[in-house]
Amino acid sequence: MTVRGAVSAALASAGILLAGWQAGAQVAEVQAPVAAMSVGATGGAAAGDGTSGTGSTDSGSSESSTAAGGTYTGASVQTRFGSVQVQITVKAGAITDVKALHLTDDDRKSVQISNRAAPLLRSEALAAQSANVQTISGATVTSDAYLTSLQAAIDAAHL
Amino acid sequence: MGTVISLAFPRDPAPGGHLVDDEFAAATAVVESLFQELDHTFSLYRPDSEANRLARGELLLQNASAAMRTLYADALDWRRRTEGAFTPKRPDGVVDLSGLVKGHAISEAGTSLLALGLHHWCLNAGGDVLVSGSPLPGSTQPGSTPPTSKAWQAGIVDPADRRALVAGYALGAGRRHAALATSGSAERGHHIWRQRGAAEEFVQVSVAAADVVTADVLATAIVAGGAPMLDRAADGWDISVLAVTAEGELLATPGFRS
Repeated sequence: MTVRGAVSAALASAGILLAGWQAGAQVAEVQAPVAAMSVGATGGAAAGDGTSGTGSTDSGSSESSTAAGGTYTGASVQTRFGSVQVQITVKAGAITDVKALHLTDDDRKSVQISNRAAPLLRSEALAAQSANVQTISGATVTSDAYLTSLQAAIDAAHL
Repeated sequence: MGTVISLAFPRDPAPGGHLVDDEFAAATAVVESLFQELDHTFSLYRPDSEANRLARGELLLQNASAAMRTLYADALDWRRRTEGAFTPKRPDGVVDLSGLVKGHAISEAGTSLLALGLHHWCLNAGGDVLVSGSPLPGSTQPGSTPPTSKAWQAGIVDPADRRALVAGYALGAGRRHAALATSGSAERGHHIWRQRGAAEEFVQVSVAAADVVTADVLATAIVAGGAPMLDRAADGWDISVLAVTAEGELLATPGFRS
């Protein structure tokens, strides 16, 4: 069981705990040099290559050139939740955005209608590719995978 | 197999108040001991754990520890609320609370950190995240009313390329959500029991919620229950969802749009 951590002059400091989570055997102790090495490999990916997989698309540029594109506004519909009007944005024949134009907010349910999931372009996902993230969700479940993960790079950058 | 737990603090938790090494050590020790304790009780990988004695039939649920019974009751409640998409029972009938234990452990660890007087931190256990406060406690966002401090930025890993991010999400610092959990088959293989007949629609589902247990359970439930469960979850809870389909397409609730 290892606890690694320090408070540094960086923005945030990370302590890393290796817990034998759901493990019969003790987790292999991670020595600092190993972690530092893995960071050398993944740190670059986090800063540079990591963004290339999802592309550096500029979301607005292709808007006018696509054939089956545009913004469409539906009629206002009375529902049991109140009056609802929806606007969709279509690009290249695919719905890229669904926006609720009119919702009654007087009870909780009426707002939830706008919370349905809709297709999302990768370039539209809240920009994270180049963002300065402090943590990664879904990065690792196992300690082995951790060593090659973005989370490891982030932790090490703060040490 | 182990899970790595990362705990991050701002350099200056409050103006004038330096986080000293002692505090940092105390915080990591508290988190570590809590995870170990829960692991000893609930791990199905430990032959001597209470969970395993229960699974082998050596222990009856009514004689189990209060912690076990409480969590089991919670799990049954989640099964009811997700209409069976989340279940504490494996197909072979063994009670498996591991879908709930990690979220529970993170939640308890967060409570302990607050009890230590630490209000600005980011706790990440195996890719499930809970934050409190801000990475820059003194900061304010330009143009925001009321002024909110900078949020913790969480990235969601791309299931097709673990070194890339597919989306980001702001947590804490007065935002709606302080927790973000991701479930899927990318890391551990197919560890989620799918509902009978449910196709494998989503390879990865991330859920942001106010608390980490809700985020974790619903992420698991949506992977298991597919699009119908995604709709039910988005309608019934104050959450944001980002789902990656088997084809690599994204489905997202409005919270994931800028």
